[in-house]
Amino acid sequence: MFHVYPSNSRYSVDAGWLRSHLSFSFGEYYDPDNTSFGVMRVCNDDEVAGGKGFGPHPHSDMEIVTIVLEGQVKHEDNLGNVEVVSAGEVQRMSAGTGIIHAEYNASRTEKVNFLQLWFMPEQRGLTPSFETTGYDRERLANALLPVVASQGGERIASIHQDMTIYLSRLERGRILPFEQAQGRRVFLFVIKGKLDVNGHELGERDTARIEAVPSLSISAEQDAWFMLIDLP
Amino acid sequence: MKETLLVKHAVGGRTFIDTSRGNVEYRVERGETGWKFALYLPFDAAVEEVLKWKDELNVFLFHEWEGEPTKKTWFYVKDNPVEYDHASQCLTITAETCIEYVPDRFSAALGG
Repeated sequence: MFHVYPSNSRYSVDAGWLRSHLSFSFGEYYDPDNTSFGVMRVCNDDEVAGGKGFGPHPHSDMEIVTIVLEGQVKHEDNLGNVEVVSAGEVQRMSAGTGIIHAEYNASRTEKVNFLQLWFMPEQRGLTPSFETTGYDRERLANALLPVVASQGGERIASIHQDMTIYLSRLERGRILPFEQAQGRRVFLFVIKGKLDVNGHELGERDTARIEAVPSLSISAEQDAWFMLIDLP
Repeated sequence: MKETLLVKHAVGGRTFIDTSRGNVEYRVERGETGWKFALYLPFDAAVEEVLKWKDELNVFLFHEWEGEPTKKTWFYVKDNPVEYDHASQCLTITAETCIEYVPDRFSAALGG
């Protein structure tokens, strides 16, 4: 299965202070046929105006990854953690038995753009925790750079699920192969530029959900910045 | 003091039951291992959704006082029993822990 979702097929919310593009059912958007892709439950492409954000709200039994593309997000929670996550950084929050947190634009004037991704954890009832890591932007060039993985690692956030999130900046004309193991899924998100993946064109903010395709050939038709998630 | 009971989907926040919107009689009992919520309402689409997503529920009690900030209590249902009894038209939800918070006092940066 190779299903391309053009960017304009996503559900869009414009609340003035928040512009959000939703790949899966979330908030006022509910499609019973679009609630998950394997363990993935949410992929929100959020743009939040300066000085605005999401007030305190609970999460439980979910691995929540925030990838900041532009600007800075400030996180506060009931455990006393206060942290700013900037472009080039990734935050993983394990909600486990429950956490109340608020997240908002750390800037009063500049917008922030981030991807928020939710995944079901391998087990429920974990102790809430979070981790922020910064990746080496130079190592994105023409490579799949892991930024979140089950075992974690140097500048790689750990996650309680058998999965890996890669980021890449692929120069026009370059090709990256990716082998998809049996029973696994691949979620692709083009942040910028244009890709061709096994003959399927993917433009800016397009996504693809791929299953049972053993070999992927990812080529850049224009300089491209993209995210690839290998998940069960 | 005004009390409101809400049952929402933990993924995305869809509201299934909001007692401030209608006459839903309910009872909250605290036991040795947690809380039991009993809501008396006819079996309808909302109840069906609660049962469909019973492992992913957010249950809240909001307490509002005049001139005071609202206190919210969130209950962790995890995989505890969520059942509907057609004879008594009673939906029961069992939760094991809770966290109280006052949104207005949570975040200085948002003016709270």
